[in-house]
Amino acid sequence: MRPDMETRGTRTDAGWRDHDGFVGPRQPGTGPRSDPRGDFPTGPAVGDAMPDVRCVSADGTRFDLHEHRAGRPAVFVFYRSAVW
Amino acid sequence: MQLVELQKSIRDFDAANVAVYALSYDEADALRDFRDAHGIAYTLLSDPDSKVIRSFGILNTLIDPNDHPWYGIPYPGAIVVDAEGVITHKFFDRNLAVRAGPEQLLGAALGQSLPEPELDRVAAPDDVEVTVALDGDHLALMVQRDLVARFSVPPGRHVYAEPAPEGSVGVDVRLDASERLVRRPIVRPASEPHTLAGTGESFEVHHGVFELRLPVTVNSAPRQDAPEITIAGEVRWQCCDDEVCDLPASQRFELMVPVSAPTPPALGNSRGAAAEPNAMAHFRRMSERRRGAG
Repeated sequence: MRPDMETRGTRTDAGWRDHDGFVGPRQPGTGPRSDPRGDFPTGPAVGDAMPDVRCVSADGTRFDLHEHRAGRPAVFVFYRSAVW
Repeated sequence: MQLVELQKSIRDFDAANVAVYALSYDEADALRDFRDAHGIAYTLLSDPDSKVIRSFGILNTLIDPNDHPWYGIPYPGAIVVDAEGVITHKFFDRNLAVRAGPEQLLGAALGQSLPEPELDRVAAPDDVEVTVALDGDHLALMVQRDLVARFSVPPGRHVYAEPAPEGSVGVDVRLDASERLVRRPIVRPASEPHTLAGTGESFEVHHGVFELRLPVTVNSAPRQDAPEITIAGEVRWQCCDDEVCDLPASQRFELMVPVSAPTPPALGNSRGAAAEPNAMAHFRRMSERRRGAG
């Protein structure tokens, strides 16, 4: 699926304003403001088993989601960047 | 902002024994700096090649692969899993600036169970009690919280669900126009079919204690002269039993909600650059590595 790009935005004195009123330096539809319009992929469905996640943690140590949560319910957040 | 707001509520997650993870395409040492700067106590995960992001199928493909350094980010969102590892809730918004707040995530992880109905038994038979409150004690830029309208319908009576039969009013929450408030469609509990004994007419209703949840956030930081936002609007309903239908009722509400000052962005101004240690260096290195990888 390739979603359409959301490009509704207006230029204001403070920056580019999107259709929800968020104002930022970049024009909606570019760079980190590449919003989808309409449907877009959101990963496995509700009711599916959470896939394995194997990567490294902030410490640089090996991480395995299901091993780490050890039978606890969990909240798993995907975000853009802690840096910018 | 979302990560910092999550940290503010981390004790609630710990008390409920719900694990919290947050993954991005940042390098591990960038996450370490962020974690230390904000005292993040939950697990930050590094996926610099976007392998996990791709394996979930949520890579933002609207970004050109040559558009460094943005390419590699996911459509931001949150997934809630139960103790068995089954996905129970997903929070993804079309506006990448709108993120699920801690109360929404914890509520989902706990199954968002309503307490046992505690109806006021001495209430007059036509009394529907309504309270409107924010689930959370403040709003923050980008971070979504639920405005909750809780209804308590006396035994033997019901209110119409949406869509209501013609000429009747379904239970609803309407917000006044607001420049700053970003709202999303109302989340309604499952309704129950109800058939009138006399006519056999059938429609959908709600009974007892139930909640409508209206996700909201703010699109701008608080101003010096306005550290709060007013959330105003109206709840409406129509209460009936099998014999009698009351006239449609409505009740205005007006809440003053504090808006917390945003965490300064990592880049873009000197205050922000100071808040996120080595942000510019991390950003430059990330950009260069990606450019090198082609």
